[in-house]
Amino acid sequence: MSTKGEGDRIELLQGTLDVLILRTLLAGPTHGHAIAKTIQRTSDDVLEVEQGSLYPALHRLLKRGWIAVEDGTSENNRRAKFYRLTTKGRKQLVVETTKWDKLAAAIARILRPAGHDPRL
Amino acid sequence: MSRNRRGLDNLDREIQNHIEEEIRDNIDRGMAPGTARQAALRAFGNITLVKEDVRAVWIPVWLDQIFQDARYGLRFFRNNPGFTTLATMMLALGIGVNAAVFTLTNTVLFTGFPQVNGNDRILYISGPGGVSWPDYQDWRAQAKSFDDIAVVGELPVSLSDRSGFAESYIATRVSANAFHLVGQRPLLGRDFAMSDEIPGAAPVAILSYAFWEHRYGKDRTVIGRTVRMNSASTTVIGVIPQGFTFPQRQDLWVPVVPTPDLQKREARNLWFVFGRMSEGVTIKSARAEMVTIGKRLESAYPLTNQGYLPEPRTFAESFFGLNAIRMYESIWGAVGFVLLIACANLANLLLVRAAGRSREISIRIALGAGKWRIIRQLLLESVMLSGLGGILGWWIARLGVELYQVVVTPPSWFDHVLDYRMDYRVLGYLIAISIGTGLLFGLAPAIRLSKLDVNGTLKDGGRGATGGGRGRRISGLLVIGEMALALVLLACAGVMVRSFMNEYSADVGVKTANVVTMLLKLPDAKYPNLETQVSFFDRLMVRLQEIPGVESIALADSLPTYSTRRLPYELASDPPTDELRRPKLSALVISPSYFQTLGATVVSGREFNDADRVAVTPVVIVNQRFARKYWPGEDPLGKRLRLFDGKTPEAWRTVVGVVSNIVQFGRSRPELDDLIYLPYRQKKPAFMNVIVRTRISPAAFGTAIRQGVQALDSDLPISYYMSLAERLSWVYALNRSLAALFLIFAAIALLLASVGLYAAIAHSVSQRTQEIGIRMALGATWRDIHKLVLSQEMVPVGIGLIIGLAATLAVVPLLRSQLVGVSPFDPITLGVASATLILCAIVGAFIPAHRAKRVDPVAAVRHE
Repeated sequence: MSTKGEGDRIELLQGTLDVLILRTLLAGPTHGHAIAKTIQRTSDDVLEVEQGSLYPALHRLLKRGWIAVEDGTSENNRRAKFYRLTTKGRKQLVVETTKWDKLAAAIARILRPAGHDPRL
Repeated sequence: MSRNRRGLDNLDREIQNHIEEEIRDNIDRGMAPGTARQAALRAFGNITLVKEDVRAVWIPVWLDQIFQDARYGLRFFRNNPGFTTLATMMLALGIGVNAAVFTLTNTVLFTGFPQVNGNDRILYISGPGGVSWPDYQDWRAQAKSFDDIAVVGELPVSLSDRSGFAESYIATRVSANAFHLVGQRPLLGRDFAMSDEIPGAAPVAILSYAFWEHRYGKDRTVIGRTVRMNSASTTVIGVIPQGFTFPQRQDLWVPVVPTPDLQKREARNLWFVFGRMSEGVTIKSARAEMVTIGKRLESAYPLTNQGYLPEPRTFAESFFGLNAIRMYESIWGAVGFVLLIACANLANLLLVRAAGRSREISIRIALGAGKWRIIRQLLLESVMLSGLGGILGWWIARLGVELYQVVVTPPSWFDHVLDYRMDYRVLGYLIAISIGTGLLFGLAPAIRLSKLDVNGTLKDGGRGATGGGRGRRISGLLVIGEMALALVLLACAGVMVRSFMNEYSADVGVKTANVVTMLLKLPDAKYPNLETQVSFFDRLMVRLQEIPGVESIALADSLPTYSTRRLPYELASDPPTDELRRPKLSALVISPSYFQTLGATVVSGREFNDADRVAVTPVVIVNQRFARKYWPGEDPLGKRLRLFDGKTPEAWRTVVGVVSNIVQFGRSRPELDDLIYLPYRQKKPAFMNVIVRTRISPAAFGTAIRQGVQALDSDLPISYYMSLAERLSWVYALNRSLAALFLIFAAIALLLASVGLYAAIAHSVSQRTQEIGIRMALGATWRDIHKLVLSQEMVPVGIGLIIGLAATLAVVPLLRSQLVGVSPFDPITLGVASATLILCAIVGAFIPAHRAKRVDPVAAVRHE
C-alpha cells in the first residue's frame, strides 16, 4: 500500500478531513472507499486517514447538508452509496479553502521568516 | 435532513463493502488474501467505534444514554421478576382504579351531553318547577349572552299508524331551533322550521334512529308518511342520526306549539331552556344577565313570577346536580389517596431493594458515574415500572368501567347521558398519573442511593443504603404517610356507607311491598275538564278493582319522596294575607283509599270517600306535622283553610282527617314537610299515578292492569309501569352507586395500606435481626424484645394515626352535604378504621420479631 516510510506520514489535523472530503467530491459523486483512496493518492500517501473515521465525517457533512447521499453502482458493479456535493457544500468548500490558505500562509510566515536559513 | 438520515440505513453493509473493496485493492497489489484482509481491517480501524460515532452524529448522546439506561432497567426487571411483578401489580391497581374513576368523572363533569357540539358553551336554564312559554319568549328576546336559546318539554304520546295498533311512546317537545342549536341535522328528511311551531300549523314529527329502526325497519319511505299521534294526523318529516337522543331517551320529537294552555305564564310545563353562549361570554356573566332578566320579569309579572329566577347551569349541574358533582370530586379524591398509598408502598419496596443494589450503584459511582446520571437512571427505572403499571392499568380501568356499568345500572331514563367513553382525556390523564407516580415513588430512593458513601458501602457488603438512620427515617415517614392516608379514606368511606344505609333504611312512611305504580296523563284534547277526567278515573278504579288479586287502588298526582305542587293558601284562623306575599303549601291530589293502599295510618278523622265530590262541601286531609305546626294542641278536625287559583280564592275546605307523615321532596330529609291532601274529584290534576296494591307479588298483574287501562282508552299512553319500591329507589340511585364506589376504593386502599404497613414494618424489624440476636445473647427475654419492637415501630404508626385523625376532621366536613343522619365525625367509623390499621401494623411488627427470636444469637452476630 503505502510507498513511504512511517516517519514521512502526517496525522490529519482535527476538522481537516471534512474539507478534504468536500474537495474530493468536487470531482463528482463517489462512494466511501473511493473517497478514502482519492485522499490517500492525491496527497501522495502523506496524509494518513484511518479509513473508518471517514464515515462519521461523511455523516456530519450529511447532517449539515453540505453533501447528499444516493444509491448507485460502483465500478465493480456493486450497489453502493454515492456521496455528492450540494450547492451549500460547494459554497462551504470555498469558505474552508480560503480559511486553510490563510492559516497555512500565516503558519508559514511564522516558521520561515524572510531571509531565514531555508534548510531549517 | 430526514432524507439524509437514510445514510444510517445499511451502514453495516456500506462498511462491509468498503473493506471488501480494500481487500480487492490489496490483492491487486500482490498481497496474499489473508494478509490483504488483515491489512484492510487495520486500515479501517475500530468498526464498532466507527458505527457508534456515526450514530452519535444523528442521535444526541443523552438520548442514547437513556436507551442504555432503559436497556439496563429492563435487565434489572428481568433479574428481579418477583419485585417487578409485585410493583407492577400494585401500580396497575392504583393507576387503573384512578383511570376508571376518571372515566366516570370525565363523563359527568367534562364531556357534557353526548353528541352535542361545543358542549362546554351550552348552558341549561330553568327555574323552580320548570319554564313557561311566555318566560322563554322573554328570555330569548332579552338575553344577549346567548347566540340562540331553545326550549324542551315532555309530551307523552300515543301513536298509531296504518297497522292501527296504538302504542305509547316517549316524545319531547322542542322549539324548532333545538337541533340546529345542538349541532344535529336529520339523517333523512328535514329539520323543524319556525313555521312548524305556529299554532295551527300541520303537525309534524322527527323520529329517533332507534324508533325508526324498530318500528319501521329503517324504511326510507317513512318520510312524508302520516301517523296518528294523540289522535291528530301528524306527518313524519325526518329521522335523527343514530345514537343521538336529547334530552331524554325518547322515540320522537315534535315542535312546541304554543297552544292556549302553554300561553299562561304560570304554566311552567316545559322542562328547561338551553342556550349556546356567545363568544366571550362567561358562565358567570350569563348567570348575572339571566338573574337581571328574571328580576325584570318578576317586577313586571309579580303574581306569576314572584320568587321565580332563571338559573343557568352547566351540563353537570343541570343533569346531575351540585351534590353529585361534589360526590364525584370526592370519589376522585379518594382514588387519588389510593394511588398515593400505592406510591408509598412502591417507595418502600424500592428502599428495600436499595439494600441489594447499593453495592452495584457504589461500583458505578466509583467508576465515575455522576450523581445526576444515577438519579436519572433510577428515575427512569421507576417511570418504566409505572409505565408498565399504566399499560396494565388501562385494561384494569376498562374492566372496572365495564363492571361498574353492569353493577350500577342507572335508571333507564338517564343512561343515555352517561357515555363512559375512555377518550383522549382519559388517556392523557392515565399517561400523566403514570409518569407522575413513577417520579413520585422513585425520587426518595433515587436520591438516597445517589448519596451513597461509596467507600463504606463497598467495604461493609452493601448495607449502607438502608441500614443507617436515614433509611429508617424515610421508611418511618412512609409508614406515617400511609397510615394517615388510609385512615382518611377509611373514615370517609365509613361515613358514606353509614349515611347511605341510613338513607336506604329511612322510613318514608309507606309500605312498598306488593305495590305497583304507573303514570297516566290524560290528553287535554280528549279530557278537557274535571268532569271528563274524573269520569275516566272513576271507571278505571272500578275496572282495576275487578282484577282478581288486587287489594286496593289509589290515585295521586305525586308519589312518596317525589316533589308535589305548591299552592298559595290561607287559614281561616289566621288574618287574611296580602295577595303578593301569600305563603304556599305542599299539596297532593289523591283518591279515596290512598293511605290504605300505601299502608299509612289515618290518625284521626277519615280518608276521602266517594262522596267527596265537587257538589258537596270541599274537604282536605292534613298530615300530623301540618296539624302540629298550625294548630298545636288543638283538634285539627273541622278547621278550615282555602287555596287560591292564581288570585282567585277557592271555597273554604274543612279538615276531615289527620294522617301519619309521608316523606315528599327527596328521601330521608331530616325535616318532614307539612302536607295537605285534596280529593281528586275536587281538584283537577295535571297527571295521575295509579297505585295498585295486590295480594301477592304484582309481577303477574302487568298484562291485566295494562289491558284494564287500554280497554277504557286504547290511545292512552302508560308510563313508568313498575313497582313502587323501584320508583322510590330512583331517588337514591346515584348515592347508592357512589357509596358502593367509596366502599370498593376503601377496600383497595385498606388492602394496599395493610400490605404496605406490614412490609415497611417487617423490613424495618428484619433489619434489626443482628441487634435482636445480640440483645438475646446478652440475656434479653422475648418479652423484652416484644416491648422493644412495639415501642419503637409503633411510634410512626401512632404519629400517622394522629395526623390521619386530624386530616379526617379536616376532610370529612366536605362530605357533610351528602351525609344523611350521620355526623361527619362518626366515632364508630373512626374507631373501626383506626383499629383495623393498628392491627395491620402490629401483625407487621410481630411476625418478623418472632422470626428474629428463632435466630441463633451466635449466628446473628456473625451474620455480617
